Parts: sequence; C-alpha cells; structure tokens
Amino acid sequence: MQIRYFHTEGFRLSAIYALVFALSVAAIGAIVLIINRQALLDQVLISARTDVTAMQRGYAADGIAEVLEILNQLKGRPGDAELFLLQKDGRRIAGNLSPMPVRVGTVQFSQGDRHPVLGVGAELAPGLYAFAGSGLGRVHAVQERLLHILLWVFLGAFILAAIGGILVSRSFLSRTDAMATACRAIMDGDLKARLPVRGSHDELDRLATAVNEMLDRIAVLMENLGQVTNDIAHDLRTPVTHLRQRLENGRADSTDPKSEAAFDAAIQKTDEILAMFAALLRIVQIEGGSRRAAFARLTLAGVLEQLRDIFVPVAEAAGHTLSLEADDAGEVNGDRALLLQLFSNLIENAIIHTPPGTHIFLRLTRTAPEKVAVTVADDGPGVPAEERPRLFRRLYRREASRTTPGYGLGLSLVAAIADLHGAKVEMESAAKGLAVRVTFDAAGS
Amino acid sequence: MKPQQAGEQAVRLLLVEDDRETSAFVTRALEERGYDVETSFSGTDGLARAEANDYDVLVIDRMLPELDGLSLVRRLRTRGSRVPVLFLTTMSGLDDRVAGLEGGGDDYLPKPFATAELVARVNALARRTAGEATQLSVLDLKIDLLRRTVQRAGRPIVLQQQEFLLLEYLVRNAGRVVTRTMLLENVWDLQFDPRTNIVETHMSRLRSKVDRGFEVELIHTVRGAGYVLRAD
Repeated sequence: MQIRYFHTEGFRLSAIYALVFALSVAAIGAIVLIINRQALLDQVLISARTDVTAMQRGYAADGIAEVLEILNQLKGRPGDAELFLLQKDGRRIAGNLSPMPVRVGTVQFSQGDRHPVLGVGAELAPGLYAFAGSGLGRVHAVQERLLHILLWVFLGAFILAAIGGILVSRSFLSRTDAMATACRAIMDGDLKARLPVRGSHDELDRLATAVNEMLDRIAVLMENLGQVTNDIAHDLRTPVTHLRQRLENGRADSTDPKSEAAFDAAIQKTDEILAMFAALLRIVQIEGGSRRAAFARLTLAGVLEQLRDIFVPVAEAAGHTLSLEADDAGEVNGDRALLLQLFSNLIENAIIHTPPGTHIFLRLTRTAPEKVAVTVADDGPGVPAEERPRLFRRLYRREASRTTPGYGLGLSLVAAIADLHGAKVEMESAAKGLAVRVTFDAAGS
Repeated sequence: MKPQQAGEQAVRLLLVEDDRETSAFVTRALEERGYDVETSFSGTDGLARAEANDYDVLVIDRMLPELDGLSLVRRLRTRGSRVPVLFLTTMSGLDDRVAGLEGGGDDYLPKPFATAELVARVNALARRTAGEATQLSVLDLKIDLLRRTVQRAGRPIVLQQQEFLLLEYLVRNAGRVVTRTMLLENVWDLQFDPRTNIVETHMSRLRSKVDRGFEVELIHTVRGAGYVLRAD
C-alpha cells in the first residue's frame, strides 16, 4: 500500500521539487560560507592594520619608547589582533611572535602545526620591523559552526519537502482511487455510479465532470438501444405469433402430404425466429438487473452436481466424457435458474464444438478467501487467442460453427448472467483446448 | 390424446384472451380435442364468469384490458377458488414467470406456442390429481416415492437420481402427453431451450432400463408432441 505513493504523479513532482529546493539551499549555504570567510578575514586585516598604523604614528611622534607603550596596551586588550612583533635587525624587541623575515603589507604564514597567521607588517624605520596579526583558528571555528547549521537546514528542508510530497500525493491518490472505484462499479454493472466531484473546480474535478457527462450520454444511448431491442422484439412477437397460428391452422386443414411438409418447415423457421427473440429479450432483461432482487444463497457445488447428472449421459452419447471436481461448496448469492443456464451454455458449447473423444472438466475451486471460481474446460482443439474476445459479441458465430445449432447468443447470455452476479468471465489459455473460468464473490458467512 | 373418455364429462375451460385471432386459434385447437371452451375478452368479464361458473381449467392471458390476468387470478384465489390456471403471455421473461406462479398460476406458457404444448399443459392441469400418494403404479410398474425404488413385474430396477425423477414425472402424468419443455422445466429445472438432446438422451436411457426385455412398452414417443407413459 505504502509503495503506491511512489508511483503517483503527485509524488514524482514533489520529489523533484524537494531535490531542487535542497540543492538551492546547498548553493546558498556555499555562498554564505565564502562571504562569511571573506568578511572574517577582512576584519582580521582591518584590526591588524589599525594596530600597525598606531605603532607607526607612535614611532613618528615619540620614537621606540612610545611603540613599546602601545604594544603593552594592545597585549592586555581582548579581541582584535592578538599576535604582535617588534624586531630590530632580525632580533625581537617585544611581542609574542618569533622573529621573522621582513615582509611589508598583508602577510600570511603558517606556524607549524598551529593555525596559520594573517596580519600586516610595516618598517617603522630602516631595520625596525613591526607586525600585528591574528591566528585563523577563530575564523575556522566560526566557519565550521556555520557549516553545521547549514547542513541541518539542508536536511530539514529535504525532509519537509518529502513529507509535503507524500501528503500531496496521498490526497491526490485518495481522489484518483475514488475515481477508479467509481469506474469499477460502473464496469460491474452499476451504470448509475458517477465519479466523485469535490466542487473545487481543480483539474481533477474538471476531468471527473467531463467523464460524468460522457457517462450520462452513454447511458442515454444505451437506454435507447435497449428500448429499441425490446420494442422490436415485443412488436414483432404478436404478428409472428399470428403467423405461427395460421401456419398451424393451415397444416391442420391441409390434406396433401407435400404441403404438410412445407407447413412444417415454415413452422420450424418461425420457431427459430421466435427463439432468437426470446434469447435477445432475455439478455436485455437480465442486463436490466431486476433479477438481482430475487437472489438467494445457494451452493455452486449443488448447481454443478445437478448439471453433471444432466449432462454426463448427453456428453457420453456424443462420444465425450465429462467430470466434476469440487474442492469447495462454493456458497454464493445468486439466481439458481440463471446459473443453471450459464453453465449449461458453457457445457453445451464444449459438447457441440469439440470432436468426439474430448474430455470436459467442470472444476469448482476457492481461488482467494472471498472468491470461488467455476471452470469449464475441455482438451479439444481450442480457440485462437485473437478470436476469443469476439466470442462474447452478440450474434457472433465462428466460421467453423455455422452449421452447429445456436444463434450466437450463448456467450452473450453467459456474460449477461455473470455480470448480474458480479462475476468475472475469463478465457484461460489452457495448454490444450479451451477453458472458461467464471469467478464469483463467495457469500459472506 | 382426447381428454373426453367414455362416461366422462367434457372438460369445461374458460379462455380469457383479448387478442381475437389468438383466441380463435386456441378455441379451435382445444375444441378439436374435445374441450368445452368458453371465451372472454376482458379481465373484468373473465373474473365475473370464473366466479359464476364452475370451470375445470382457466387459460388466462397476462395482459388484458380493464383487469390484468395476474390481478384476476389473485382475486379469484383470495375468494377461495382453487381452479387450475394456465397463464398465456407474450412476456416470456423470467420475472414474469416467477410473478405468474407466485400470483396463483399453476403453469405458464409463453406465446406463441405449439398446439401440442398448449394441449399437453391444459391436460396436465385438468386431470391433476390431488393428494400425495407414496406409491404409484402403472400396469406391472411400481414406484415407491419414499424409498425411491422401482420394480417392474416384481423385478427391481436400479435408476439414477435423474432417471428416477423423469420416471416419476411420467408416471404422475400417466396417460397424458408430456412435452419436451414440460420435462425440462419440471424434471431438470431448466427454463430454457437446450441445444443438446438432453431429453432424448435421458429418455432413451430410461427406456432401456424400464422397457427393454418386457413384452409391453410403457414409454411411447408421440410425434411432434412429446412422450407418454401408458399401459396400452
């Protein structure tokens, strides 16, 4: 469940945002560090220059005695430059540094394993050299602390951005989940279900509104179509009924065996037309869903046992064998008469469309804690994968089965009955033959 | 096939059907077979006649002007009438069938129908015997419904469940033609027209057990109509 957040567009955007944000924080941190270092060094130099200038002025006014006086004062003062040197001809007169080579202006040197020193040197008189400066230890300490602070800021920013991303994607996900649930409900036959709209007019809302409008339109079209089918079938039934009655009367009145045969053939054709109407009407009626009100709890094992008893002799007469395996009672809520028809259709398909010697298997298994599946399989020649989806189309007949009984409505009826029961019909690619699996929700206890 | 037999009164039947053409067709078919048919063309008239006269069977269309067939039968039933009712209808749907049977109908025949189908069903209703016998017999065939055993000429015959149910239905309707559809609906609980020869296959198995090796055949095929179990 958690892992799904990482697959949302919202999370991807948030992650990119968090990364860019953290990188900006890092860049700003680097700039702050550089500027801060420069400022600290400038401060050291300004302080050193002030001290050296004071010594120069002192020497010009009162000679070396005044310089020593200044040095004394500076030594006792905290902060600013803390390293001093006054040397004459390479020998230290005063200060806390060892004698060093004469260098005028900004001077930086290292002191063995201690921090490097930065300062300013000046010649007060020929041979008389003064230096004031500071160890850079303090600068380094400040920079290090700053770096620590910046790292925490960076980490914090990244975590906040990531949390934000998860929150955003979770709300995004809950809305897309609600939409997916609604879509699935519609596919499962609840044609009145619609996608949730929040009223916030954001992009998801606009998408949901557009999809809902589309569904409304489809619903109207489907209703028209169902109504037309229904009307045609009903309106045609009365004239066809009269037609059949007149043919029967004609046959009863006829004395000529030839015309009797003609009447019989005409009656048979009329019955075929009527059977097609009946099948179409039945599909429309089942799709209407009103049958669901009469659902009762039943066991699929009971239904299949009854069908086994009915069809074993039929299959054997056609040179087939038929067996039933049930490892579950298969309790479901359903309509017994319709389920008998559903599985009869599949079994009859197997008997009619496979050559003698084919074995037909009925299997009832629990495929998940809340799912039971009925499989009607055979080890006959099977149906090519590309042709399978077409099998469920109304009035579709395979080239190979034009001469066998049926109107191409059997699997449409199977699909309609399965839909009514919230069951899923799948064609499984068996190693040999065809397997049709119908998966039901098991009835809750 | 004629319900009218020596010493028996003709079966009195009321047909309530508003479609004149169908009414004329049904009347002709039933009168030819010896029924005494009265016709009515509306629900209220049909109800009045059904209450005033003593019919053996009612054949009632579901959709009628003034008072629909289902309401007609409901009213009859609340007034205590137990006359057998066959519903005719253009609505062949499953819901209508259930509603019709629950509403007090005894059988249900979708229009259009073959004459043989109508006659067989009306016959079954008109001659329906009340009471629950536990033993049935025709000639030398004996069925014990409680023990589920079958004997012919004193010899036991072992039948499978489906074969027993089929034989029981035939024996209960002994002497009357039963159609394929009646067998499918009442023996196997199948409310659709199968594409395989279920009825023929089971019937031939049953025949091989019940009739083979006996001088008199009990189960007969009636061409264009169905089957009948009878002693002659």
